Amino acid sequence: MSQNISLKDVERKVFTSAFEDGLWDIFIAFVFLAWALAPVLSPTLGDFWSSAVLFGSWPFVFLALWLVRRYVVTPRVGTVQFGSWRKTRLIRFNLVMLVFLSFSAILGMVLAFGTPALPDWMHAAPFSLMVLIAFSVAGYFLDFTRLYFYGVLFALSPLVGRWLYIYRGIPHSGYPVTFGISATIAILVGLAKFIGFVGAHPLDAQEAPSQGAYGD
Amino acid sequence: MTERQIEQAEIGVLADIDQVIHAPTRLTVLAYLFVIESADFVFLKNMTGLTWGNLSSHLSKLEDAGYVATEKGFKGKKPHTMIRLTDRGRTAFREYKQKMLQVLDDLPD
Repeated sequence: MSQNISLKDVERKVFTSAFEDGLWDIFIAFVFLAWALAPVLSPTLGDFWSSAVLFGSWPFVFLALWLVRRYVVTPRVGTVQFGSWRKTRLIRFNLVMLVFLSFSAILGMVLAFGTPALPDWMHAAPFSLMVLIAFSVAGYFLDFTRLYFYGVLFALSPLVGRWLYIYRGIPHSGYPVTFGISATIAILVGLAKFIGFVGAHPLDAQEAPSQGAYGD
Repeated sequence: MTERQIEQAEIGVLADIDQVIHAPTRLTVLAYLFVIESADFVFLKNMTGLTWGNLSSHLSKLEDAGYVATEKGFKGKKPHTMIRLTDRGRTAFREYKQKMLQVLDDLPD
């Protein structure tokens, strides 16, 4: 029985090694950053274009991080294809997220257009709850524990932002402050992880004659 | 059954343990390959903490026993080899696990 537990740990160690390079943390930091900057750019660019510019930049950030993974990370840690248990778990995760995000989108539209008389915080609270659930579900299925922490940061940012706006007069619903702090934390974690990762996995040791002897 | 016969039967189970798998290093390599579909040399080296030579030597022994197989391909222009557990290797690992559990379960506290 103890061997079963140990093999599960081995599998988890293999899978979670994919998150040890800090690149996902950096991507999440850019998501936070978009929420921090969108309200600031809104007066000059307008609501639509400020959101379009910022959220539209995510695919480019994603592409840049993918290139870093391809040319910096993979040569250092190698390539792995996960087993059927993990693949099934990832399919289950995608299905759960699809259902949950569809439900959240419908709820969001109902709250935005169906209940305009509700106070501001009544709109922010369900959003925070949904974000917290989404990050927690992802953290659980992906065994990526830092996602719980980012979920809390993301959930608190609009609520604390509203509070700052109402009671301290911080402009733009306080988003630049709260999401800006969240983005800073995420990017510091990501950079620390990435620098530590590159230091721990030097590239020079990869050229070994035995690799050629074995298979290549 | 006499005490001697019981003793011999117990030793028989131990003698039956697959010596190819039983070596700690190969057991570690097989444990990693058991929980994934396939991996390349660099990945296994990182996970096990073995040196190139050591890993290569143990993989050769596992390949000779028919427990692992290699799939050669290219990554860009560079040759790239993925290593996976064969069906035979998977079965052997399961049997090894069962036998070790059996032996260890019979030990008094």
